[in-house]
Parts: sequence; C-alpha cells; structure tokens
Amino acid sequence: MNRDGAPILELRDFRYTYLEGTPKANEAVRGVSVEIRCGERVAVVGPTRSGKSTVVDSFAHLLRLKTGQVFFEGEDVAAPGYDRGALRRRVGIVFQQPDTQIVEDVVGADVAFGPTAAGLPAEETRRRVEESLDGVGLPYKDFRLRYVHALSGGQRRRVAIAGVLAMRTPVLVLDEPTAGLDPRGRRELLGLLRRLADDRDLTLIVCSASLQDASLLCDRVVVLDGGRVVVDGPLREVLRRDEDLASLDITLPEPIAATRELRQLFPDLPADLMTEDDLERELIQRLGTP
Amino acid sequence: MLELQRNVVFGQFVDTGSAVHRVDARVKIAVAFVCIVASFLIDDLLGFGLALALMVGIQALSRIPLGFFLRGSAFFFGFLLFILVFQVLFYTGEVSSYLWRWGILSVSTGGLYTAGVLGLRVVFLYYLTTLLMLTTSLVDLTNGLELLLSPLQRLRVPVNELVLVFVIAVKFVPIFIEEMERLARAQTARGVPFDEGGAVTRARRLGRLLVPIFINGFARADTLTTAMHTRSYRGGRNRTKLRVMKAGPSDWLALALVTAWMLAAWQL
Repeated sequence: MNRDGAPILELRDFRYTYLEGTPKANEAVRGVSVEIRCGERVAVVGPTRSGKSTVVDSFAHLLRLKTGQVFFEGEDVAAPGYDRGALRRRVGIVFQQPDTQIVEDVVGADVAFGPTAAGLPAEETRRRVEESLDGVGLPYKDFRLRYVHALSGGQRRRVAIAGVLAMRTPVLVLDEPTAGLDPRGRRELLGLLRRLADDRDLTLIVCSASLQDASLLCDRVVVLDGGRVVVDGPLREVLRRDEDLASLDITLPEPIAATRELRQLFPDLPADLMTEDDLERELIQRLGTP
Repeated sequence: MLELQRNVVFGQFVDTGSAVHRVDARVKIAVAFVCIVASFLIDDLLGFGLALALMVGIQALSRIPLGFFLRGSAFFFGFLLFILVFQVLFYTGEVSSYLWRWGILSVSTGGLYTAGVLGLRVVFLYYLTTLLMLTTSLVDLTNGLELLLSPLQRLRVPVNELVLVFVIAVKFVPIFIEEMERLARAQTARGVPFDEGGAVTRARRLGRLLVPIFINGFARADTLTTAMHTRSYRGGRNRTKLRVMKAGPSDWLALALVTAWMLAAWQL
C-alpha cells in the first residue's frame, strides 16, 4: 500500500459558501486542510452543520469550487480544462439520502447508469451490475427488474451503494452509509465495505456524526466543527479525547462510551478500549475475579 | 454546482427585515393590485418609466441587492427579449415608416414602439410580483389574500381553498428548482456532467431531467396531501390565527403614496 507517497486527495485551506454573493449566502466550510493518501481509510466526523457534506461534495467537484483549494493526485480540480468526468469516474460518492442519488426507476438500470455513462460495453456493465447488487445483498436475479420506489428505505440505500460500487472507483466516499439500516443490514454493509476496501485496496472516506460505525472501518479520524478541522489523527489517539468528542455531540463507539460511564467507578480505565473484549479484560483485572 | 437559485429569483423570499418587509401583507397585496390596474391603463414610455422608477425605489427600501435581482432575472429577460423580437418582426398595426422590410417581416417605428411598451409592461408586472414575493413570506401572503378575499365567502366562493391552491402553486417553483439541482447533482456524481459542454449539450441534458422532475413533483404533492390530512386540515372555517394582522397608519400611507404615484404615471 502506498501510504507514504503524494496525497491522492488534498484540501488546502478549503473554504466554501453556498449561494455566495446573494442574500442567502451560507458559509459552510471556513478553512479545512486535509491530505488523504492512497489506501487510507479516513472517518470525517462532526456534528450537524460542521461542513462534512460540503467537504465530501468537494472531493468529486460537485460544488462551484475556486481554484487552489481542492487537489486530486496533485492536480487542481477547479483549474480550467480539468477533466471533471475523469475525476468522477475515480471518486465515487454515496450520498446521505439514497433518493437524491438514484436516477433511474428500475434497480438494474440505476446500477448500470454509472458504467454506461463511462462508456463500458454492455457485457461488462451487466457483469458489474450483477456483482454489485449481489455484493450489497440484493440478489441480481430477484432485484434487477424491481422498481426503486417500491423498495424499502434500507433496500434503496443498498441500491444507491451498488450504483457507486459498479463504477469501481479507487476512491469511495460514503456520507452516513448506515443511516436508516436495521442492525443486520448495518453489520452486512460494514462487512461488505471492509471486504471491498481490503480486496480492491480502496481509499475509503466515511462521513458520519457517529464514530460507532466509522471506527469499525477507518484508522484515521478527522473531526470537523463549525467548518474547521478540530482534530486529525489516528483512530486510537482521537478516541482518547473522548471528552472532547462527547462535547461535540459525536456518538462514540459503544465500548468507548461504556468506558466513559464506568470511569465513575474505575477512574483509571484507559480511553482506547476499542472492543467489548478489551473492556471486559480491564474490568476483570480490576474486579479481581477469575 | 448549478445553484439555480442564483439564476431564478422568482418566487423566493429573502428576509432582510426592512420597512417594506414589515408593511402589512394585505396592504402590499392591495398595492400590487393598484399597480396591476395601472399597468393596463398606462400606455406610454414615460408612464412606465415612472412606474419602474417607483419599483426601483421600493427595491432600494427593501434592501434586496439589485445585482441579486438582475442576475436572478437574466433568464426571464432573455426569454422576453426573444418574444419581443417576434413582436417587432410580425407587427401588423398602422405603420408610418418602415426601417427594414422583407416579405411579411418588417421593422417599423410603430412596431418598435408597441413592442417597447409591451416589454416594459411585462417587465413591470414581473418586477412587481417578484418584489412582492421577495418581501412577503408565504404565510403572510396566504393570510393576507384570505382576509382580503373573505367577503367573497358570503357568495359561497371557496376562498381558502383557492388561496391554498395558489400558494402551493407558487411554492412549487422553488421546490422544482431544488428537485432539478438534486437530480443534476446525482447524475453528475455518476459521471454524466451538467457543468461541461456547450449551450446545446447543456440544454439537452437539462431536458432529460424533465420527466423525473414531474414524477417527483407528483410524489411531493401526494406527500403534502397526506401531511395535511394527518393534521386534519379543512379549509379556513373556524381556524384562528396566532398572529392577527393589523394595518397601522404608515401602512395606509404607503398605499396612498403608491396610488398617487401610479395615478401620476398614468395621467402624465
């Protein structure tokens, strides 16, 4: 894994105001600098209105970007003449709401939309649609002809994810990927994403108000608040600042949250107990029972 | 990306809390009514010049930036200009002198003058309604219209329902715009760009959005109906208001001033 080379994605003092120059101007991001290297798995977390979604949109140039702020593989994506089509074939974004992502009304057609737009031959497109739908747990032969509007919310989310997976982008950005999924669907999706990230050596960016899921997928955390970066570091280090995270209203992973509560009884509990097993071991030590 | 809201100002409400915003909604609607009547009476360039000057004055008072309004109207003005060109070319009224003639097409001073007056009338009406909506929230607009039209209820005109339909129709303009942006963003993210290519390519791409926009529009209307049912909405009968509108002396003064100005514009 090339994690030491030049960053694949870079934000340099990125600032963004929606509807700039109109009375409805809305400043969303006030100077974010982040470097993301190839193969990294980064969680972008923060409370609502922290600028997460704007940062995510900037990665695929879905905004009116100014030059000198967003770079992909060292190139300024806002530079005149930059091939934005190529950028979007390499950076896949799964939006927060599946309904804003799905463009066709039949499942198979929607998943095929990206590959078709990329000009892939029909056979390859079909293969990718099958693979992606099977991958997200919607069997190809049962779902390919179903109507999107007749699916449940969770199923629609999977269709949206399949549509991006079918584009086989080396960078995968997910905005709140597990919102609206039942516990089983959530587990399955997290498993799928981990597997994909390993198999295809994806650069994974997961955006969320909760570290619960992101902590299972990512090894680096960027915390945003009020359109600025507050913390940026390896997962374990960031989790040690659990008080700061809690004050920003960021949902902590369950073992960490439990540790915080248990610290009232055992003030010396370490803050980086990532799993229930770690926590159990520490507790058994302190309780002195076998 | 697109930020169509920049390009379509019609139907938006921008709260700057100015004096114009604070005027009683009923008075603003009455002012609009006076202006609309005047726009049919006025028939010369000077009259419309005065009428438009009043609008510019109101806009300045409302503290809504002129640039924002102009940029948000460019699309409409372009369309109007396009129509006026035909108005001039196919003018068939009394003509004293031709500037240019080819078959049935012609450019005459009479045609230019009529088209000019027509254009100003349309611009004036557009400016008026846009300003009304920019400075009046939808709730105030609804309440104002309902109150103004309430005498008609005695004649069994379903005022509340009519106003509601009108308001929903107006409200759907920004909703459609939002919908369009959503779809454009979705397709762009999946590799069909909206922000590249020449004017014709772009227009064709926008065209492809029309069907999904209407489907989603119907879906939204359906959701709205359900939402209103679940809250037991039924007309305006027996409904009370949290904020009761009260027109003060300054409101009446505003109405009187506008009426006087428009009378002058008509008679001069």
